[in-house]
Amino acid sequence: MFQGQRGWFCGSVGEELRQFWVDEGGSISDPRAADFLFSCDASHPDTLRIYQSLDYIEDNATVFHAHYLSAVANAEIKNSVTLGHFILPPECLQKEIRRKLGNFIWEQDQHFQIEKHYEV
Amino acid sequence: ATDNHPKMLKYRCSGCIAVGKSLNSRNFSKLLHCCPYQCDRHKVIVEAEDRYKNELRKSLLCNKKILLTPRRRQLRSES
Ligand SMILES: [Zn+2]
Repeated sequence: MFQGQRGWFCGSVGEELRQFWVDEGGSISDPRAADFLFSCDASHPDTLRIYQSLDYIEDNATVFHAHYLSAVANAEIKNSVTLGHFILPPECLQKEIRRKLGNFIWEQDQHFQIEKHYEV
Repeated sequence: ATDNHPKMLKYRCSGCIAVGKSLNSRNFSKLLHCCPYQCDRHKVIVEAEDRYKNELRKSLLCNKKILLTPRRRQLRSES
């Protein structure tokens, strides 16, 4: 699924998810060269560095929550998971966003384990 | 059919329908900014992030000015 894709992982991302990325054909790279930026914690120093980078300011770097990968791992059809629902905004914005929209999708993570698509 | 139209658009936010390999951290933000029918969720996130980026941009510009001013003067006097 991630063949030929380069991923950068914040120190906050667990080994399991990193391994899944590699198992699916992805490679690990530095943040400048990465196609995907994954983090589990917007306040982690690694991720903060992304938010303060020129790439981010110029709309060239969206950080995604690494739970995207566990959603992919759990999905029946792997490329049916909407990447766009896993945007990880800077910590200082999360409270405001949560107030307007409710919890983020990665905060409802249990649903991924329970929710399954049964064939009718 | 016309009644369905706005409803359809509501579910056609680029950030929500785009799946698969074409999307990544490099193009996602631009895709959202170009989307004329962002859903509520993406609209709120984009607006918040844009505000954050603008503030950063301002503070970066201030720093740059301080760094670049002396150099620019030097170049001018050389030519
Ligand atoms: Zn959307």
